[in-house]
Amino acid sequence: MAAAATQPARRHGAAGFSPRARFRQWWQARLPLTDTWQLGQRNIYILPTRAGLTFALTLLVMLLASINYQLNLGYALTFLLAGAALVSMHLTHGNLRGLTLHLRPPAPGFAGEPALLEVVITNPGRERHGLALRFEDRAAHGETVVWSDAPALGQGVTHVSLVPPGRGWHAVPPLVVETVFPFGLFRAWTVWRPASRVLAWPRPEAAPPPLPAGAARAGDERAARRSAGSELDGVRPWRRGDTMRQVVWKKVARSGELVSRETTGSSTRELWLDWQDAAAGDAESRLSRLAAWVLQADREGLTAGLRLPGRELPPAQGDAHRRAALDLLATW
Amino acid sequence: MTALATFQERVAHLPRETRDTLFLLAVIAWTIAPHALQLAPWCGLMALALLLWRAKLALGGGALPGRWTITALLVLAAALTWWGERTLLGKEAGITMLVVLMSLKTLELRARRDALVVFFLGFFLLLTHFLYSQSLLTGLWLLAAVWGLLTALALAHMPVGRPPLARAGAVAARAALLGVPLMAVLFLLFPRIGPLWGLPNDAAGRTGLSGSLRLGGVASIAEDDSIVMRVRFAGRVPTADQMYFRGPVLSTFDGREWTRLVPSFPARLRPRLELELRGEPLRYEVTLEPSRLPLLPLLEITPDRDDAAPRLDGWLLTLRPDAQWQVDRPVSERIRVEAAAWLDHRHAPRDPVPGLVDLLRLPAGFNPRTLEWAQALRRQPGLAQAGPHELAAALMRHIASGGYTYTLEPGTYGRDAIDEFWLDRKFGFCEHFATAFVVVMRALNVPARVVTGYQGTDLTPQDGWWIVRQRYAHAWAEYWVPGEGWVRIDPTAAVAPDRIRLSSSLRPAPGFVEGALEGLNPAFAADLKRLWETVNNRWNQWVLNYSRGQQFDLLRTLGITSPSWQDLATVLITLLCGAALAGAGWAWWDRRRQDPWQRLQRRVQQRLAALGVEVAPHDAPRRRAERVRAVLGARGEALATALETLDRQRYAQGRRLPHTGWWRQFSALARAVPGR
Repeated sequence: MAAAATQPARRHGAAGFSPRARFRQWWQARLPLTDTWQLGQRNIYILPTRAGLTFALTLLVMLLASINYQLNLGYALTFLLAGAALVSMHLTHGNLRGLTLHLRPPAPGFAGEPALLEVVITNPGRERHGLALRFEDRAAHGETVVWSDAPALGQGVTHVSLVPPGRGWHAVPPLVVETVFPFGLFRAWTVWRPASRVLAWPRPEAAPPPLPAGAARAGDERAARRSAGSELDGVRPWRRGDTMRQVVWKKVARSGELVSRETTGSSTRELWLDWQDAAAGDAESRLSRLAAWVLQADREGLTAGLRLPGRELPPAQGDAHRRAALDLLATW
Repeated sequence: MTALATFQERVAHLPRETRDTLFLLAVIAWTIAPHALQLAPWCGLMALALLLWRAKLALGGGALPGRWTITALLVLAAALTWWGERTLLGKEAGITMLVVLMSLKTLELRARRDALVVFFLGFFLLLTHFLYSQSLLTGLWLLAAVWGLLTALALAHMPVGRPPLARAGAVAARAALLGVPLMAVLFLLFPRIGPLWGLPNDAAGRTGLSGSLRLGGVASIAEDDSIVMRVRFAGRVPTADQMYFRGPVLSTFDGREWTRLVPSFPARLRPRLELELRGEPLRYEVTLEPSRLPLLPLLEITPDRDDAAPRLDGWLLTLRPDAQWQVDRPVSERIRVEAAAWLDHRHAPRDPVPGLVDLLRLPAGFNPRTLEWAQALRRQPGLAQAGPHELAAALMRHIASGGYTYTLEPGTYGRDAIDEFWLDRKFGFCEHFATAFVVVMRALNVPARVVTGYQGTDLTPQDGWWIVRQRYAHAWAEYWVPGEGWVRIDPTAAVAPDRIRLSSSLRPAPGFVEGALEGLNPAFAADLKRLWETVNNRWNQWVLNYSRGQQFDLLRTLGITSPSWQDLATVLITLLCGAALAGAGWAWWDRRRQDPWQRLQRRVQQRLAALGVEVAPHDAPRRRAERVRAVLGARGEALATALETLDRQRYAQGRRLPHTGWWRQFSALARAVPGR
């Protein structure tokens, strides 16, 4: 009940003041920030689970029954199970001990969309089963648990997804690797604070207004003229290299010839995606709109530059450019 | 063969969920099976039906029944239990409900928590089997059940993929086997203390001497080979027909049940114990197994004399007026006493006392035809004026020639059990003969009583000890003769002399397998049987009869002169602390231990550095081989080859850790590199 009562508080950010949360913060502050986390005696914790306590109670009842009915085989059974339970404690601990966890540098993603974190589990010993990977703060990051095995003397790769709430750099929140293998009587876990950060691009606006009109590049009259009346785009026979999107399918259906729309983009038009043009409420909304424009420009193969107050990215094309533009929007 | 292969094929292609459920159901069925023999038939059938239903759901993918169905089934089971047992709390009722609950719970197997409930119920259910039997076979059967349950438990905690059953089984076996040392220490040293809140009634008196006797309800008595006591004689060993170990003496008969004397006279008018001992005493030693009865079945007659009476520290041993030794509390541990007996003796009052009238009483309205029969006997010529001895002899003659049969399965007798036995059916075991004899003697106006106890031992001793088993439990009679006192007579001897002379109690007819074996090869069967008995005997001796006495013996061999249970606790705690410390030491050592591969890498790096080849710690052996070739050239060819071999081993399909032999070889090669 107590846990349930504190949960909403934690979710609303008042958690820092409850003693439990405070203890957790203090405890985690002691842990180093590292992308490679080697599990050993020092950083594996182990406690009996609720099932383990129930099992202990069962054993106690069995022992009492054995004493009262003077059952020697009852004693033997009780002690056999007690021995197996004690060994299972070591097996549970050993299931984590010796593993090395490594977080691959995370790829950036959009805010509000899950970003995949790739954790490599290196196992120098015998086969490990039932390793659960999750975020330490379940209230903030959800209850999702990813199960995996680690083969003997090998590596296993697990993915856990993180949903960055807003744009910018986000520290990867503390991760927990835990196991109850083999009997579920004990839970061994470790808390790991990866050093890596995840970059979240602004979430692109869902239905952005059309791209602002581009300015003609110096010395290209034709393009300037065309761009002024953008609906006058012509068609020409299909050429090798034209994308599917450029094909004018309506005309193809009528005439049976492959024709392409003569694009105004490519190298002929120069577009500036400007903070000033993205007139949409607060700064974050503007960034969202700019992000949407960056994506749209990239889709349409336009050469676009990005202009933010104090920062500027010269017009260019391609994946690297798009990345650079989004990164700029994320970190501005 | 093909059927089996098809079956295996089918199992191999079951979805994991289905396979796990079916496996768990099989384990539960295995766990419940022995109870089906003990409990009411409906219980076994219901459990079977529920398990089959669940299996069908698992295979067909149907939905599990709702809460109401399960509640209704539970209520039905409770009603049936109440109907059969008249309670829901007793042992039988409790176990019945446990079995039903366990099989019902399988219909609720949704979350992991449900599965855990099944496992814990299962473990407890295993324990209840031991209330019925602790034989070696039961032990082995249940060991398999423990393994099965642990395997299912491990399987439930391997959430990824479709782990093979064998893998989960290996994990379970490993945990259990590694736990065996702890189990052995606890089993040997956990102090055996007595029952905590008095022994539940239903545990005692299933076999052996309960202090009362009832003919009606007992249709058959089970053959129980468990050991009651072991006896060692200092000198001459008496013959089997002299070995009567005296238990409760039953003098009062209410028509149904024989109990100890309920006297109707004040103590001074009751028959007192007057012993007249003749000849040499027979010194002997008895090791009595826990009987849970407050009595000591000693050899007739062991007198209460300083040089003969048994002594036991911490116990109060008294000789009752009916010459039976009793102790002040139930014997719940193995005890050992020394005593002396006089086989040739006379006991009890030589002259009549009023209290003897109690031993003539017969309940009114019971067994009228036997009483008539006794009067008719009295009217026979030659017996009209006969004394007790002649009458007893006449009865023995009648038993021998009257068509009586000694059997362990006489069937049930009704209200007038003696009438039915003595005049009609004539099938009985020792209790029937002894009680009928006493009733007839009393009807003839001779004081008589039933004595229960053990008669005879195994034919051959083990290590000098003569073994008395439960199946030697016996009942005989005593009648009183003026001027002589109590005279022992064994009516069973008249119909089954071997039972008395050779202790050869009746054996139930051989079962099917046993019969087939004996038909096949009698010698082999006899060998097998002997082997089985030896193993079983060891089992009884080492496991079932292990009690405080043996624990103290163990402590004495450890050098503790006068052990107490506190010493046991001390030794136990010391051992456990020692084990914990050793564990902590291992953990400390393990923390400093390097991964074998990294250690090897480091050592190779150091050795190469000595040769002038600098490599990084994380370089793979292949990379190091390249460096060696680059720096040392042809001189390092052998080293480079060795490194490449190591690389292949390390990253080969089999993934076996490189053998330490590789390092030795590499080290030798490194030393042999010319021109350092």
